[in-house]
Amino acid sequence: MNEALYILCIVVVTALAFDFTNGFHDTANAMATSVATGALKPKVAVALSAILNLVGAFLSIQVALTVSNKIISIQGANGAPVPGLMGVPLLVIILAGLVGGILWNLLTWLFGLPSSSSHALFGGLIGATIAALGMGGVKWDGVISSIVLPAIFSPVVAGVVAGLGTWIVFKIVTNVPEQRRDAGFRWGQVGSASLVSLAHGTNDAQKTMGVITLALVAYGSWTNLHAIPVWVKVACALAIAAGTWVGGWRVIRTMGKGLVEISSPQGMAAETSSAVIILSSSHLGMALSTTQVASGSILGSGVGRRVPVRWGVFGRMVVAWVLTLPSAGIVGAVCWFVANAIGGALGVTVIFGVLVLGAAYMFIRSRRTPITPENVNAEWEGGLIPADEREPAKTAS
Amino acid sequence: MEIMTKAFEALWQVLLVGLVLGVGLPALFALGVLSLNRNRRLVSVGAAGGEEITKPSAAGLTGAAICFGICVLAVIFGIVVIVYGKQLFGV
Repeated sequence: MNEALYILCIVVVTALAFDFTNGFHDTANAMATSVATGALKPKVAVALSAILNLVGAFLSIQVALTVSNKIISIQGANGAPVPGLMGVPLLVIILAGLVGGILWNLLTWLFGLPSSSSHALFGGLIGATIAALGMGGVKWDGVISSIVLPAIFSPVVAGVVAGLGTWIVFKIVTNVPEQRRDAGFRWGQVGSASLVSLAHGTNDAQKTMGVITLALVAYGSWTNLHAIPVWVKVACALAIAAGTWVGGWRVIRTMGKGLVEISSPQGMAAETSSAVIILSSSHLGMALSTTQVASGSILGSGVGRRVPVRWGVFGRMVVAWVLTLPSAGIVGAVCWFVANAIGGALGVTVIFGVLVLGAAYMFIRSRRTPITPENVNAEWEGGLIPADEREPAKTAS
Repeated sequence: MEIMTKAFEALWQVLLVGLVLGVGLPALFALGVLSLNRNRRLVSVGAAGGEEITKPSAAGLTGAAICFGICVLAVIFGIVVIVYGKQLFGV
């Protein structure tokens, strides 16, 4: 096997791994509210979300190859790689970017923090591009308009809409007995959450499809810039669905139990707000982050119902959102430097090894205090880890 | 500066659609739930301490059907947007 083909294979595997983390990191966006109110049993919720992500991934009839065009200049206007980067140079940039994205996704998952998978991917790619091409390789206008501004606006808009929605809903059903009320709204919860899952499958799986196809174009085994290979579509759909099905229980717990206590009408209002904003924003010229919209909606719904909001938990999320781009970027840049310094297949193998070790370490850490379908809804009491499962406090060391 | 103006333009539209559909649909759904639970007819009184069994009134059922029907249409519209959004809106 020649060197370029070997690197291409590593890139494809890594891209699918990113797609997988994208799935399980974002299960919470759609399903946290339904899991928290018991509208769906935890395992049923992730299974439903997985199926809808799978279907959603196939629904995208027009996949843009221009994934990175707005933020970095590694592709021309038509989506083809910049001529000077054809072949291995572009593959290494993509790989370094993906490693940054995956490691940040896993770290935030370990802490149970919802953070945008797209921002992590773009952060990684920006870092790797700066390392490879210098500051001039980044389109800062695009970074501001398609990452920074949406990140600021997403939670605000979603919070306002969900807050108003929740307030009105509770005004209307104030005299309906709670049991009957909740029975009705659980259906609404499932419907709105399903729509979010479907939209997620379409939007997010597309990004990985675009990245893999870009790698194939750079390698030279695919030339059509207006279509993606069928096997790429199938592989990406399966990867994001598998990730969703595994369920990022830590993130689901933070969003469903950590921010506010969620009731059925509130969950329905929050998830409808998310669905409407995600679907409308992507067609109105400013695609807002699914994760940040969903978090803002849940928070807003708590404010609208006037229940206590754990602002500390929200504060930690905001810190994670601010750190996403630079952190994934630094990892992406470091990976590119390492791969470039060692060079060739060996360099690529080394950063892939770093990814595998980092992922394994975080997975093992998570097993110390696992969050599972069984304890995902335990009382919050100030922490992600349920009170009766916490490790005894260590003495200062 | 130009990207800021553009961003705020898009933001206003998102907020507007959000307020109309994101607040309107949950409100409509709530009206449906309310309609199902107003003026319920008593069907049978359960044994001592048991639950009374009631049914929604005809008017209540009709109202609920209309409300939920519009919500279902909205979901179908949502699916259409997911599949054909790019063709419909060009973005």
